[in-house]
Amino acid sequence: MEEKLEDYALNKSLQSKTGNIKVGLVGCGSMGQEIAILISKSGIDLCFVEVDEERVEAAFKGIKEQIDKIISHWGMTTSDKRAILSRIKGTTDYKKLKDCSVVIEAINSRKWVPNQPVRREVFKQVEEVVSDDCVLISNASTIVISDLAIGLKRPSRAIGVHFISPVLRTRIIEINRCRNTTEETILFVKRFVKMLGKETINVFGSPGNISTRLIVPMINEACGLLMEGVSTVEQIDKTMKLGYGMQRGPFTMADHIGLDKLTKWMEGLYNEYGDIKYKSSPLIRRMVRAGMLGKKSGEGFYLYKDGVKIEKTGSIFSLGQNLHIK
Amino acid sequence: MDDESVLAKGIVEKIGLNGSFIKNERNDGDKVTLNGNIYDHQQGIEYMLGVLTSERHGSIKTLEEINAVGHRVVHGAEAFKTSVSITDKVIDKMQECVDLAPLHNPPNLKGIYAITNLLPNVPQVGVFDTAFHQTMEPKSYMYAIPYALYTKHGVRRYGFHGSSHRYVSTRVAELMNTDLKDLKVITCHLGNGASIAAIKNGKSIDTSMGLTPVEGLMMGTRCGDLDVGALTFIMQKEVIGVAATNTLVNKHSGVLGISGISSDMRDVEKAAEKGNERAILALRMYEYRIKKYIGAYTAALGGVDVIVFTGGIGENASETRANVMKDMEYLGVDLDFEKNNGLRSKEAEITKADSKVKVWIIPTNEELVIARDTLRIIKEKK
Repeated sequence: MEEKLEDYALNKSLQSKTGNIKVGLVGCGSMGQEIAILISKSGIDLCFVEVDEERVEAAFKGIKEQIDKIISHWGMTTSDKRAILSRIKGTTDYKKLKDCSVVIEAINSRKWVPNQPVRREVFKQVEEVVSDDCVLISNASTIVISDLAIGLKRPSRAIGVHFISPVLRTRIIEINRCRNTTEETILFVKRFVKMLGKETINVFGSPGNISTRLIVPMINEACGLLMEGVSTVEQIDKTMKLGYGMQRGPFTMADHIGLDKLTKWMEGLYNEYGDIKYKSSPLIRRMVRAGMLGKKSGEGFYLYKDGVKIEKTGSIFSLGQNLHIK
Repeated sequence: MDDESVLAKGIVEKIGLNGSFIKNERNDGDKVTLNGNIYDHQQGIEYMLGVLTSERHGSIKTLEEINAVGHRVVHGAEAFKTSVSITDKVIDKMQECVDLAPLHNPPNLKGIYAITNLLPNVPQVGVFDTAFHQTMEPKSYMYAIPYALYTKHGVRRYGFHGSSHRYVSTRVAELMNTDLKDLKVITCHLGNGASIAAIKNGKSIDTSMGLTPVEGLMMGTRCGDLDVGALTFIMQKEVIGVAATNTLVNKHSGVLGISGISSDMRDVEKAAEKGNERAILALRMYEYRIKKYIGAYTAALGGVDVIVFTGGIGENASETRANVMKDMEYLGVDLDFEKNNGLRSKEAEITKADSKVKVWIIPTNEELVIARDTLRIIKEKK
């Protein structure tokens, strides 16, 4: 009979529970995949739930592709990839989350509807299977977390944790506590964030956290500049990049976020605060209707091939202008 | 127990990861591998002590039999020039060194905390990888960059594998029946990480690893010496940041990066035998870099009496040793190729009897250095 390591534990080992974390993830679209990679890379086991087997398979494919891309840019090795994949499980069954100490909701509804009720339903379904001390996290950007916690038997365990894409490279994670979140939950989440090698930014009950509330008006204002003909997409981007040392200009940023997702953020914030500065620019709405969603659709404010910006062609707007002149 | 016999040796691997395990080997040959969840360093140490005191695989009856614990600590910066007894003040100073070795020092500290928790009355000693090289002069350890970076952030050469370089240089002097103080020694520690040191009068005067363990020799996956201009060029061309650059030079480079086969020398040697050109190139580059350093350190020492090979590759790869030492007659090295051929992990001289410069293989024993230092320091304390 094989010997068990546990048989050799000293009595004190009962005290040693640190690190014993398993994470559940509901929704494994591109954002969920990024979160899954980060968590697994930190040595933590993770199980994600998707709606059907096809999506489970697609999620694994996406995770592999994301890691391969990182490897091709020297950020990881093939053994890192093996280790990461070995820690990730996928399922369609919520019951598989029963032994998780934390479950993250990262759903992304493709339909053009407010997804707050869907997210609330996810929280409820998760609560039915997990233990009493499991923490429930929502990655929602613009939703009041207290609203999601309505209907939970233990709303004190709900908290917003906002991962910003590219999740692996961004050094901060926003923690958005809701009215009922207990100190115990906050402390747990802070430790969890530390395990992921990130710094915590504390936010108190603000839909849109800090990051989304600041980025949305800037992108809207950039669209305003463009529509007024003040300058071009590239020039506006260059100004913010070189003038203010931002990693990306507002249009590159918008393309990276995805204009559909951005519109949801904008509508969410506008509904919540009623301030016109959050209302999505007609330009963005038009582009979304035309299927120009940014990097992911290959066309946004710039053109993309295989997810890479085609620098030399510049912005599609400049291209259009050039054609017009000719 | 007053002799230096080993009661048991073991290792805890993959802490905090899937598939973690503990291995223990007792001096009577009893071997065990226990698989299970080991979530942190404290738990790893608990299990290790559990095995050591167990009826089935144990070597001691109770924890009270442990008189002292010695810890290997990777980075001691300028704060630690020798091994020290661990106190709260020492721990504070070690915390300050975390920035210089973010991957290694935190787990070292966790090991110390775990022992403090489990064996609160047992004295602990820290043995630093950098300490042996603290005898280097500023002309060896300074980089030619603005001096302020040294005063502000401690940017300088520290060197690593100190316990190994110290052990093999001391041991070779013993085996040669010579006082180490009369010898000029070059020690080549060639393992997964590799470094080379110039030792004069028993003191390290220069070593190839620098602020971090990336500099110097070509290694399994680390690049060793590289034009810093090339690095900023690569960062710009590949559009990569600090983290990816670190992975590039630490994990994608060296023997693996050139051969594209493996970081394990044995795999690369096999491929080279079959005529794989990149594998052959990797081996030649690996050997050439060592040869170059031996030349440089001979000049720095003003001559050399003995060259020592140690570490997994240094102790086992006879072809690597032969290729490094080939055409070194000008220096006074007359290698006994026959004796060298196939010699593995044994203390042995591999030069001919009349060779002016001696070449030795000395299997390293860092654990013994830690045990000896620990014993000496707790005796001094008493």
